[in-house]
Amino acid sequence: MHWQFSNDAPIYTQLIAQIKIGIVAGAFPPGERLPSVRDLATEAGVNPNTMQRAMTELERDGLVYSQRTAGRFVTEDRAMIEAAKRSLAERHIKTFLEAMIRLGYQREEMLSLLRQELGGEEEKA
Amino acid sequence: MTVLSCSDLCKNFGRAAALDGVTLSIEPGRIVGLLGPNGSGKTTLIKLANGLLTPSAGSIEICGIAPGRETHNMVSYLPERTCIPIWMSTGQLLDFYGDFYQDFRRDAAEEMLDHLRIPLTQTVKQMSKGTREKVQLIMVMSRAAKLYLLDEPIGGVDPATRDYILSTIIGNYNPEAAVVISTHLIADVEKVLDEVIFLNRGTVALQSSVDEIREEKGMSVDELFREVFKC
Amino acid sequence: MLGKLMKHEFRATRRVMLPLYLILLVTAVAANFSTRMLFDSRHWVLTTLGTLLVISFGVAVAGVCVMPVLLMVQRFYKNLLQDEGYIMLTLPASIHQHVWAKLIVSAAWFVVTVVVVIAAGCVMAFDIGVIRDFFEGLWDLLWELRKLEAFYAFNGVGYLAELAALAFFGLAAMCLQFYAALAIGHSAANHKMVCSVGAFFALQFATQFLASTGLYQLSFVNWPGWQISGMAAIHVGMLVALVCVVVYGAIFYAVTVYFLNRRLNLE
Repeated sequence: MHWQFSNDAPIYTQLIAQIKIGIVAGAFPPGERLPSVRDLATEAGVNPNTMQRAMTELERDGLVYSQRTAGRFVTEDRAMIEAAKRSLAERHIKTFLEAMIRLGYQREEMLSLLRQELGGEEEKA
Repeated sequence: MTVLSCSDLCKNFGRAAALDGVTLSIEPGRIVGLLGPNGSGKTTLIKLANGLLTPSAGSIEICGIAPGRETHNMVSYLPERTCIPIWMSTGQLLDFYGDFYQDFRRDAAEEMLDHLRIPLTQTVKQMSKGTREKVQLIMVMSRAAKLYLLDEPIGGVDPATRDYILSTIIGNYNPEAAVVISTHLIADVEKVLDEVIFLNRGTVALQSSVDEIREEKGMSVDELFREVFKC
Repeated sequence: MLGKLMKHEFRATRRVMLPLYLILLVTAVAANFSTRMLFDSRHWVLTTLGTLLVISFGVAVAGVCVMPVLLMVQRFYKNLLQDEGYIMLTLPASIHQHVWAKLIVSAAWFVVTVVVVIAAGCVMAFDIGVIRDFFEGLWDLLWELRKLEAFYAFNGVGYLAELAALAFFGLAAMCLQFYAALAIGHSAANHKMVCSVGAFFALQFATQFLASTGLYQLSFVNWPGWQISGMAAIHVGMLVALVCVVVYGAIFYAVTVYFLNRRLNLE
């Protein structure tokens, strides 16, 4: 996983977001055991307590569960992962729309631009 | 139990006050950044905690004991500059630390040295500056101490060495011990810290958790530091 | 802890001293060889070579005698007051233990050096006519002395023992004077080395002043009932000197420990 942090938000919320992306995008497949907090912290170069806090939050959301002795696992509930994916997508779309509106684009123009972009990509593929 | 506590701690050099009424406490399991511009009293505070200086007024305690022979057993100290004897080989250094500190984990040290491919026969004299810093840090982090006092561990080394040093600190994290890192390179250490203490002209300007600062002020500790200490 | 400190102190010093002893013994053998063989040769190259070898032996003796003193000062200065002090003075050991470790190891090197120099001298002198004759003469003298009264024999041995003790404690006190001067000098904010040299001479002046005024006062004291023989007077004098040296040493020790404990400020 590639970890990257911005300056304007708490580190633990950024960790949550990035682990979520990892789960959704399959870097951490459903049901798989996660590395220990210490290993994850070392990998991301962050404080172990902060990583622990992120894990606790993810557990509360249900994306991750822990078994007392065996460690921490990614949920096997694919619907939940799907929902998380969906909510992440919605957030991206929202920021995209906000930016486009700020640039002065109307609904129709946006759609045609998008279609053009996507069509172009299909041709390339 | 509080690992490091200072109350109204003062230290004067002649007429100049290097520390002027510092009161703070550091709990186990925390990695704390001691941040401040040059000459703000960071090194003085760390030397006092090591008993290398005696307070002019007030008190400083490690696990409830004033610095001295007893606390040296609990504190693992990385001085500002490399000071391991240069004639020693890595193997002799391991003997040295193993002889004097009961909490020295020789196997952990050997593993880290092996990872860096530093042979036990190599003398400190033959090493580059960066390697010397790494070796000294390995010795310091291989102890199972209650308090780690790291004075400028990442000053003057290249970015790759910096990453290595920080990941060594994280990799040796122990929930029962506290780590104090003094530095002015805040952007590099920020992610590693739980808490920060800002020192300004010998007084504590701020003690807060990193995520609290980010949440409340909407900016990184580095940005806050630049704002507080604007010239 | 004192034992461990001494072990590592030996480790640090023997890497200087042992090679030096080896060089001395090699030059002793070479000098012995050249006196016995080369000097008799007719060829100027060989006689010059022989002279050089004998000179090198002399230089080696001087070097071996001076080195323990240099090393004593250098170890205290470098290991406790320079960068290495950050590591040494944060070990779980007391200042007392540090000072004793340095002192004992230095004293041990002094003794070993005396022994090695004597041994090297014997090697150098082995089977050389003049010197052998000298020692034989000395042996005869001692043999004659045997016939003297036990009184003189005991006193003679007593003097030698007192002299040896005086030399030993004198050297130890000298070490402590260097330590005290360095510890005082390094409590200064700047110019630590200049201050150390100044402190050394101040201590030197103070001890000499005390000793001379003490002697002067002593000459006025009239101890009634003190009628002792010349022989006993020398013993008393030796013992007084010994006590003085030990007292100086103790004062230097106390000064060293105080300054290292309370006034130290490493750069």
